[in-house]
Amino acid sequence: MFTNTLFLLSAALTLGGAIAVVYSQNLMHACIYLLASFFGVAGLYACIGADFLAATQLVVYAGGVVILMLFAIMLTGGTGNNINRYGLEKIAAMGNKKTYFFAGITAILASLIVLKIIANVLKDQSTTAVITANAPTVERIGTLLATDHILAFEISSVMLLGALIGAAVISRPRKERHD
Amino acid sequence: MINLGSYLGISFALFICGILVMIARKNIIAILLGIELILNASALNFAAYTKFSNNNLDGHILSLFIIVTAAAEAAVGLGIVIRFFQLRESIHIDDAASLQN
Amino acid sequence: MDYTFWTIAPIVLLPFFAFVINAFIVKKFTKLAVAISTGSIFVSFLFALRIFFDFMNVYSVGYHIHKVFPWFNLSSGSHVFEVKMGIYIDNMTSVMLLMVTGVATLIHVFSTWYMHDDPRFGRFFVYMSLFTSAMLGLVLSDNLLSVFIFWELMGFCSYSLIGFYYEKEGAGNASMKAFMTTRVGDVFFLLGILAIWSVVGNVSFVDIYNAIAAGKFNGLTISVFSIGVPVATLAGFSIFMGTMGKSAQVPLQVWLPDAMWGPTPCSALIHAATMVAAGVYLSLRMYPLMELGHLTTFIAYIGAITAFGAATIALIQTDIKAVLAYSTISQLGYMVLGIGVGSYNASFMHLITHAVFKACLFLSAGSVIHSIHCQEMPQMGGLRKKLPYTFFAMLLCCFAIAGVPFFSGFVSKDRILGDALVMAFNNPVYIPVALLGFGGALLTAFYMFRMLFLTFLGEPRDHHIYDHAHEEHLGWNSNIPLLILSVFTLGLFYSGSFTGQGEVNLFGSRNEWFSTLIHKPDAESLHHYAEYKSEDFGDVDTRDKLELPKAEYDPNHGMSEEVAHHVHYIHHVGAIASVIIAFAGIFLAFSMYVKKSISADWWAQTFVGWRRALQNKYYFDDLYIGKIIQKGLIPFNNFLAWFDMGIYDKYGVDGWAAVNRFAYTVSRWFDNTVIDSGMVDGTGWSVRAMNTILRWVQSGKIQLYFIVLIAVLAGYVWKLSF
Repeated sequence: MFTNTLFLLSAALTLGGAIAVVYSQNLMHACIYLLASFFGVAGLYACIGADFLAATQLVVYAGGVVILMLFAIMLTGGTGNNINRYGLEKIAAMGNKKTYFFAGITAILASLIVLKIIANVLKDQSTTAVITANAPTVERIGTLLATDHILAFEISSVMLLGALIGAAVISRPRKERHD
Repeated sequence: MINLGSYLGISFALFICGILVMIARKNIIAILLGIELILNASALNFAAYTKFSNNNLDGHILSLFIIVTAAAEAAVGLGIVIRFFQLRESIHIDDAASLQN
Repeated sequence: MDYTFWTIAPIVLLPFFAFVINAFIVKKFTKLAVAISTGSIFVSFLFALRIFFDFMNVYSVGYHIHKVFPWFNLSSGSHVFEVKMGIYIDNMTSVMLLMVTGVATLIHVFSTWYMHDDPRFGRFFVYMSLFTSAMLGLVLSDNLLSVFIFWELMGFCSYSLIGFYYEKEGAGNASMKAFMTTRVGDVFFLLGILAIWSVVGNVSFVDIYNAIAAGKFNGLTISVFSIGVPVATLAGFSIFMGTMGKSAQVPLQVWLPDAMWGPTPCSALIHAATMVAAGVYLSLRMYPLMELGHLTTFIAYIGAITAFGAATIALIQTDIKAVLAYSTISQLGYMVLGIGVGSYNASFMHLITHAVFKACLFLSAGSVIHSIHCQEMPQMGGLRKKLPYTFFAMLLCCFAIAGVPFFSGFVSKDRILGDALVMAFNNPVYIPVALLGFGGALLTAFYMFRMLFLTFLGEPRDHHIYDHAHEEHLGWNSNIPLLILSVFTLGLFYSGSFTGQGEVNLFGSRNEWFSTLIHKPDAESLHHYAEYKSEDFGDVDTRDKLELPKAEYDPNHGMSEEVAHHVHYIHHVGAIASVIIAFAGIFLAFSMYVKKSISADWWAQTFVGWRRALQNKYYFDDLYIGKIIQKGLIPFNNFLAWFDMGIYDKYGVDGWAAVNRFAYTVSRWFDNTVIDSGMVDGTGWSVRAMNTILRWVQSGKIQLYFIVLIAVLAGYVWKLSF
């Protein structure tokens, strides 16, 4: 019962947050809605016993990525300018009817693809799959990461280091040359 | 109620929302928000399949790697955005069209 | 001491890296560049010193280091074409290394003072570093190919340094002349290398020795103008031509006097001590080939003519550096003469002693020139009071070059002359060689002391110059190098013992370390080289030095008792004769230029024709420029020009032009109608049509790309599912 309630709440939070991100006209608000959506996804993880994933989701997304994005939004001036360098009006930074129209078409096409695939997948899936009881996953994930997936784990650590250095190098202001 | 179909549905909805955000917005950071939504949708899919098929946790590991990759991508992507903003005084996606023509 | 890359290579590489670094920093950090240059050669000197003392400790004739590494390998199947580079150090190399690095260090130090006010102070050191590294590379080389490479590098440095003051037209011409003249010899040298390669299949010294010992050259002839010439003679002659070019032997001696346009320290290093000696060094290394090719008589004559002829020209020179230049040619002639009469040790020893005292003489001349800003001896005189240290150094060196006993020149030159005398007694062909040798010795003593007296003694002849001469003070980089070099003009260092093989014995012959250690590779001893093994550079030394027998001085030089007695008798005669000759020359100079009891003018007026010939340097320049170039090469050139313009251009080129013009008319029509209107414009039109479409697609807008991506994917999935 508790699990069902949690699932419903989380699903609502996730979908509501996502839809709010789509419709919000304020980038800052959109980012906060995204945060809500991430919380919801964490809840969904918790519902299917993925406790470690839920925690990671909270720590990395809610604690890291969204904060980073908020900083970026504040550094770049929020919702954005709609006037280009030559004083001409551009398409609004948060979109207008035309962009939503194209987005809708694309979304319909994409959903057709995905639904087709899901239909194929669900057709093969036995409807009576054994659903195991939830058990703590942290220890098993740790073991798996240090044994079967050690290569991927190391590669991702190198990638993180690269991203760290790359981000620092890219965003560092370069000195103007006066000569 | 908690079954594979509902999870796939939620992740599908998240994915579509992400695509809508990616196309409809013209602000680069907003596009990044959309990308995050799509990545979350796929991560949720993996976790759901783990639960409802064999429960051997490989899906969880994949989800973890998706989260890690998303974090790295956010750092680098936002770095590029900041740099772009310094150069062009804009974060409008149509200003990043040097490949034009 | 172990011999690895790190104990040998720095000798060459340090000056080379100094050159590379300085080439970049010399403009902004001149002083640092000079310090790097001088410091690197000094460190090289320390390495060379270490090697030298190791060889003196082992004190064995057969002690050698031979390390090789493969350079490139073009072998295919049974055809072997493998080139190895390497280093080869024996007693000769170790002495040579010590001499080159030591003299170069002192000259570098002196240059920091002498060149200090020059606007191209730093650049001078860049060239000097490159030169020193090339010379050291040549000395360390184990094969003729790398010798040739370093040989040419030195030639380039010599060219650059002679033309150092390129604003002066004379300097530019002189550098060109030096380059062109030595090129004649270098081409022959290269041909000699090829000839040796064709027989031996390799150009490493040891392999050449082994091939000669194994008789690979025997009976091989090559047809030159339908006359069969032994390959050994041809190869030996070609290589000796290289020596003649580099060491300024007649008839290729014309470049060396002109080389005095360069700065004086570079004359000291390049055109007195090292580079010109490299030619003699090469002939010494190739001595077995010269012997095999029966070239020794020819070499002896070339050397004797050079030694005497250059000495006569030096008699009337008034420029202080010109006197030294001709004296250098003359002394190089003595070395070549020594090779010719089989006096291997003494020839090499003269190379070393000459390098030391001639470097010192040039530096002293530099000191004089720096002091009075003038090179003409008639305007000098009485400088002894102003330049006491320079006078002292120059006096010792003049004693050495004149062959006064207890000085180094006596030790080496007397031995060459003694051997020449022995050859003359055995074979009348050599009588002119010995006579020219002794005559040259008399002239040498005369003109060197003439230079010394005119410069330093007597009354000042030009009071303006004298009064403005800078007083000399003792300075670490001005006259200390001269004094150090002048100390090493004492014969003790070359004939006495300081090797730990016994007490210092000034007058005896028992401790002749030089002639004991330097091993003449003649026909009898060549088979030793079959045991010489080479190692890879990375290998650990496996040589057990303690097993090598200590070298013993053999006063008979391997000759039987009777022959040796005979030879020693002639040697004593020669020694007495050369002492008398040396003092006679000095006395003549003294009475002519100090006491004035003999009138120099009377001699000049009596022998007008001779004097004119000497002033024109025996008309060699006139011959080369007037006869060979103007009468021979330029008419030939004109003929070629006529052929080019009259025949080739008129009929060949112009006729071809007419053909082309017709072809052009046809092709223009084709071009205009078919190619241009049809194909080119058609292509342009189609491209324009395509680009109108593509420009819309290629908007640079990522979101559009994404939409297209999704649409295409959707179409693909739709296609798959039906």
